Amino acid sequence: MKERTPRKAPALRADRPGVRVAAWASVIVCGGFGLLPVYWLLATSLTPRDQVFSYPPRLFPSEVSFEAYASLFSNSQLFTYMQNSIIVSVVTAVLSVIVSAYMGYSFSKFRYTGRRALMYFVLASQMFPQALLLVTLYTVFSAYGLLNTYTALVLSFTTFTLPLCVWMLKGFFDTIPNELIEAALMDGASRLRIIHSIVLPLSAPGMVAAGLFAFVRGWNDFIFALTLAGPDKQTLPPGLVNTYVGEAATAWPELMAASLVVSLPVALAFILLQRFLVSGMTAGAVKG
Amino acid sequence: MTAIVAYPLLTALVTAFFKQSLVVPGRKFVGFDNIVDVLQGNFFQLFQQTMIFTLGTTILPFAIGFALALALNTRIRGANLMRGLMLIPWLVPGVVVSFLWMWIFNGNYGVMNALLAPLGVEPQAWLAQPGTAMWAVIIAKTWQSFPWIMVMLLAGLQTVPRELHEAAEMDGAGTVRRFFAITVPQLKGIIGLVLLLEFIWNFQHFDIIYVLTGGGPAGSTQTFATSVYETAFRGYDLGHAGALGLLWLILLMALVVVYVRFSEKGEER
Repeated sequence: MKERTPRKAPALRADRPGVRVAAWASVIVCGGFGLLPVYWLLATSLTPRDQVFSYPPRLFPSEVSFEAYASLFSNSQLFTYMQNSIIVSVVTAVLSVIVSAYMGYSFSKFRYTGRRALMYFVLASQMFPQALLLVTLYTVFSAYGLLNTYTALVLSFTTFTLPLCVWMLKGFFDTIPNELIEAALMDGASRLRIIHSIVLPLSAPGMVAAGLFAFVRGWNDFIFALTLAGPDKQTLPPGLVNTYVGEAATAWPELMAASLVVSLPVALAFILLQRFLVSGMTAGAVKG
Repeated sequence: MTAIVAYPLLTALVTAFFKQSLVVPGRKFVGFDNIVDVLQGNFFQLFQQTMIFTLGTTILPFAIGFALALALNTRIRGANLMRGLMLIPWLVPGVVVSFLWMWIFNGNYGVMNALLAPLGVEPQAWLAQPGTAMWAVIIAKTWQSFPWIMVMLLAGLQTVPRELHEAAEMDGAGTVRRFFAITVPQLKGIIGLVLLLEFIWNFQHFDIIYVLTGGGPAGSTQTFATSVYETAFRGYDLGHAGALGLLWLILLMALVVVYVRFSEKGEER
């Protein structure tokens, strides 16, 4: 997971004019598709509200206004959503990392019947449709009176963060040499002691990465929070949909400003993760 | 772990054989009635729409992601910066993708109409017409998916040994020839993986469709995911939701098995 792919390994040489032109053409066309909407998000969020409802739209706002952001931060309901998002995502991340540390360690260092099957099941569970899972989760949470609680949200988020974290941490534990563990066993350390004083400290970066991933997945969730919680416990994504979508005249600058604010923690997490992300995400796939 | 994922899924599938409501306790065994109902209803329309959505949102982002990966793997200036910037669409939450494209495709003030006006396209309410809504949704999802494909393929491209290209160039192979004779075969594994995962994910995608159109207009963007959700949480009808879900999972598994078989066969040749 740590190794770096060589930076300069050009598959296509840009020396030939034909290749160069084709490369630039695809960067401009595809890059435009990727980035123009981002520009539009930013530009709209800075447009005064009365200027948004005009056709044709102004591609460059004639005056920059922060009124959308101001009205966003004065909305107390949005503040509640934000608070819920933070609580639920952080608790989900911490819980996922703790549980998956032990599970990942077991997958990585012990050999037992059904280990492989269980591992693939964990991975396959990523592919189960959430809409279907919700049917049962809703019934069960409702039976235990857990609907509209943080507990319901955290538990349901864990169904999709846990497999991911287990898989990531298993990869980290695989890189810890077995000799280290055997040496500690010889010196009389207990299994738990080994996990707590050797394995976990060595995999701290992996645990931070897994935690950030779980945080982002929880933060981005829409369907679970939409269904299992009401307005006072809902997180930002369904909260924003309820606040803005379906109104006769949507407050577009405000919605775009809100979109930007919701995306910020994710962008921040990504910047922290960047080095790990690309290598971690592709390591298994490329080699396999 | 098994409990937290497998148990809910199995219980959900079991409801396929019961008459059961989300809000009223108790249930009654009805055998295959629900499944028959679903098959006689709009199942095939749903299947068709799910396939259009899934294929569209797998092929389009793949084409864009591959083109960008190839372009950014050359020595053009700004490639590194571009690689970073291109990840933005993939990073933002799904609801943000939906809000943004809802605004772009807005019928009255949307920028899409303004951009297409010089080409002689009449202003359209893209998301409110059965003919265009599905394409609008596919484009929004494409925008979210292509960066991941780009990153995966870029990583793959960097593992292609440079010697292969140099040797082929010496032998007089042109760029296009080398692309099909070296790059594509070398990337076969990763291309297969990316397409398979995208297919599985898109087959059950919910967020963007639900927020952009809610399955409308006139059910024209309804897929298995949105339909199961609507049946269970708007219609409170767990039996039919479970039946639809069961058929949906069987279909997905069948498609994946066919795909894996097919790609294994390709490997043998």
